[in-house]
Amino acid sequence: MAAPLWKLGRSTLASAALLAAVAAVAMAYTSGGGASRDSLISEMLSNFILVLGMQVFIGNTGVLSFGHMAFAQIASYATAVVAIPLAAKTKSLPDIPFGLESVQMGPLGATLFAVAVTTVAGAVFGVAVCRASGLAPTMITLAGLFVVDQVVKNWKELTRGAGGLSGVPRIEGNGWLWVGALIALVIAHLFQETRIGRFSIATREDELAAPALGIRLFTSRYAAWVLSVGLIALGGSLRAQSLGSVNPKQFTLDAGILILVMLVVGGMRTVSGAVLGTVLITAGNELFRQLGDPQRLGIERFPDLFLGGTMLLVMVLRPGGLLGDRDLAAWLRRRTYRRPATVEVEPPTATSALVAADVEVRFGGFVALDGAGLTVRPGEVVGLIGPNGAGKTTLFNVITGIVHEQGGRVTLGDRELTDSTPVDVARAGLARTFQNLRLFKNLSVRENVALTSLVAARHRRHRVRPQPDTLLADAGLLEFADRPAGTLDYGNQRRLELARAAALAPEFLLLDEPTSGMSDQESLAMVQSVRAVAARIGAGVLVIDHDLGFITRISDHIVVLNEGRVLAEGTPAEVRANPLVAEAYLGSSA
Amino acid sequence: MTKLLQTIVDGLGVGSTYALLALGISLIFGVMHLVNFAHGELITVGAYTSYFFFLHGGSWWWMPVAIIGSAMLASVATELVAFRWVRNSSPFTLLLTSFAIERLSHALWQIFVSPKQRAFPKPSWVFNQFKIADVSFEVMDVVTIAVTAATLVLTAIVFKRTLFGLSVRGAAEDFDAARLMGVRANRVISGAFAFAGFLAGVAACLIIMRSPAAEPSMGADWLLKAVIAAVIGGLGSFTGAVVGGLVLGLLETLTRAYLPDLADGWDKFSTAVVFVLIAAFFVVRPDGVFKVSRAERV
Repeated sequence: MAAPLWKLGRSTLASAALLAAVAAVAMAYTSGGGASRDSLISEMLSNFILVLGMQVFIGNTGVLSFGHMAFAQIASYATAVVAIPLAAKTKSLPDIPFGLESVQMGPLGATLFAVAVTTVAGAVFGVAVCRASGLAPTMITLAGLFVVDQVVKNWKELTRGAGGLSGVPRIEGNGWLWVGALIALVIAHLFQETRIGRFSIATREDELAAPALGIRLFTSRYAAWVLSVGLIALGGSLRAQSLGSVNPKQFTLDAGILILVMLVVGGMRTVSGAVLGTVLITAGNELFRQLGDPQRLGIERFPDLFLGGTMLLVMVLRPGGLLGDRDLAAWLRRRTYRRPATVEVEPPTATSALVAADVEVRFGGFVALDGAGLTVRPGEVVGLIGPNGAGKTTLFNVITGIVHEQGGRVTLGDRELTDSTPVDVARAGLARTFQNLRLFKNLSVRENVALTSLVAARHRRHRVRPQPDTLLADAGLLEFADRPAGTLDYGNQRRLELARAAALAPEFLLLDEPTSGMSDQESLAMVQSVRAVAARIGAGVLVIDHDLGFITRISDHIVVLNEGRVLAEGTPAEVRANPLVAEAYLGSSA
Repeated sequence: MTKLLQTIVDGLGVGSTYALLALGISLIFGVMHLVNFAHGELITVGAYTSYFFFLHGGSWWWMPVAIIGSAMLASVATELVAFRWVRNSSPFTLLLTSFAIERLSHALWQIFVSPKQRAFPKPSWVFNQFKIADVSFEVMDVVTIAVTAATLVLTAIVFKRTLFGLSVRGAAEDFDAARLMGVRANRVISGAFAFAGFLAGVAACLIIMRSPAAEPSMGADWLLKAVIAAVIGGLGSFTGAVVGGLVLGLLETLTRAYLPDLADGWDKFSTAVVFVLIAAFFVVRPDGVFKVSRAERV
């Protein structure tokens, strides 16, 4: 109970501080006087909510969406059709459907109605967006934008078409916009502290590693999407009530890109970045608009020059945005980090064995695995070796659910893992590392491990779960805990990946070439690290490596693959003495 | 029957223009994982080049050379001034960089020429019609399809037979391996941009002959359709880009022509219907028709 309150407090504090800074800038600006200055502040505040709405999805998941403006549009029109006074409505929308001719709501009712309608629409559409991968989600959102645009322009009974609707009762002053901005800030901050929010950040950092550690792409992305649409709806609704009118021109692709520029210039990964970007771009845009005024330079779309130039400079010089990963909330989180009380639990005795039997995999005509199999008993370290192209990595990928086998089966104890997805394999208790390092590079060293601990807390309850800091201390990484993982040196990154896998409290650790690119001395140290970690969590190990010295030192049992079949297996000494192995490795002359 | 035939010819006409643009987008994606949202600006460059030459007594006899040449130069220039500096960044950064270029291009034409449309003469024969067995065709439709077909054949020869084509295909397959084989990154990427510029230049000729005018944001709509076509086909797949372009063109014209017959009063929603179909397609096949396996080693 204390933890959620603590998070809420931290989020509110960070939000209030940011908003106070913005308010100070705004007051300094408006004290110069003039209604136009007030309206620029209103514009900035509604942009603010829209940018934060985009940040929740785009910033946390790294999936680009062009369709957010479509939901701002739906919310604006939903607000308009219920908020416009009845007398005006019968005049401007005589044939309005759904019995809306007799509905009239106050500002709060209209806002809630718009947010509810839009969020439901977004939740349906989001299923399509979050199921797809690669560029498809971006294309789906783009298509969505055009569909909504055309429907709004042509469903004249409801929207009056391209001319738009006016006569939306205007809310007095900017008070409600400030409230809306505060709500958006707290929600955006809080989301980054929740379990599912942290998971969606992990999927942004590595789409492949996250599922391999038990994080489901769809669930975390979908949560971010729905929340994000809700915030966008709030922004759209408040903007309609602040301007007093809505029309399709406010929601074009260009309008959406303006909001996107605000997000990426400041730094999309953090809320602080989104805030900075909104203030800078709104101000810069206004400045260039005034400079391009007919009385001055007389250039109609001068702001485009500012937008394009700023974005180009930021992308070339600071692709992560001006703030990158610097974030007020993250700073607060670090300052208030409390080491969790260590819970002493008896080391578990693993009872299931990992068995892969008669596995067959063909890529087109090429037979990668032709009836290969292996068994790893509880707590045992098994080394998998073989010449290039023997099928080691393929077997590994079959076991972890990345490649699907055409024949054979994989079981963990009495649990069937054949044809499972990477997420289910990870949750069942197999944690893997990657040949070419797939850390969550922009996240802190501690967060890399803590994310897996979060998965373990839900899906690996029956096992002893080491604290992240314990694992970091074991790996000698505790002093770097607050640094971004990508800044560690190579050997430490390898050790971090091992600690991250161990945090899942798996029954087996699957290590794909843990010493690749390491010196002899380093790989010797790696033998110690792997054995220590495996003992700490009571897990068995399956390890692939090219380094024969490493494999013979670390393994209790070795399996030799050649041309998709098991060529030999046994203790390191037996395997070394086997003439078939020498032949496969060194050619017959040896 | 006549209507169907004419609709199909129309669809192939628009679709082949999409195909040429999509091919360039797919090509660039193949070599550097950039979805180039600035690609449509090459049409704008071509249009302003024609406008400029027509002010000084241009002629349609040689104008296509000027249009294609300017598009190629502009394409290579964008790589030099912008994309080269973000080459190894994430696809997200690359995409936003191309957006920045697109924005800048819009702004610069407005500032240095005019925000208003600038028209110039069209070739006299463009809208002439001729009949084959009761079906009348526009000369331009036939020219469009023929020019596209010839360009595609040329493209196929370049990528199958020349050293440059092989290097680009190799780089699209696996850039690091290609470099180890002695392929020079800068040269291949510049070459790919030049070729993409050539394809966009041909497309620009076909577009400008029909509506001979230059406008700062004229490339934007073409670009979006071309990107969608390229992704439908499967980014990085050359056949896919052509198929995606033709399918999109046919889908648009067929929907526009036949939707009113199917559902009364729905004609105004034809674009919406097309985009709903596109979205549905991506839900079913997120990697496009021709999936390009970028087998990431794990």
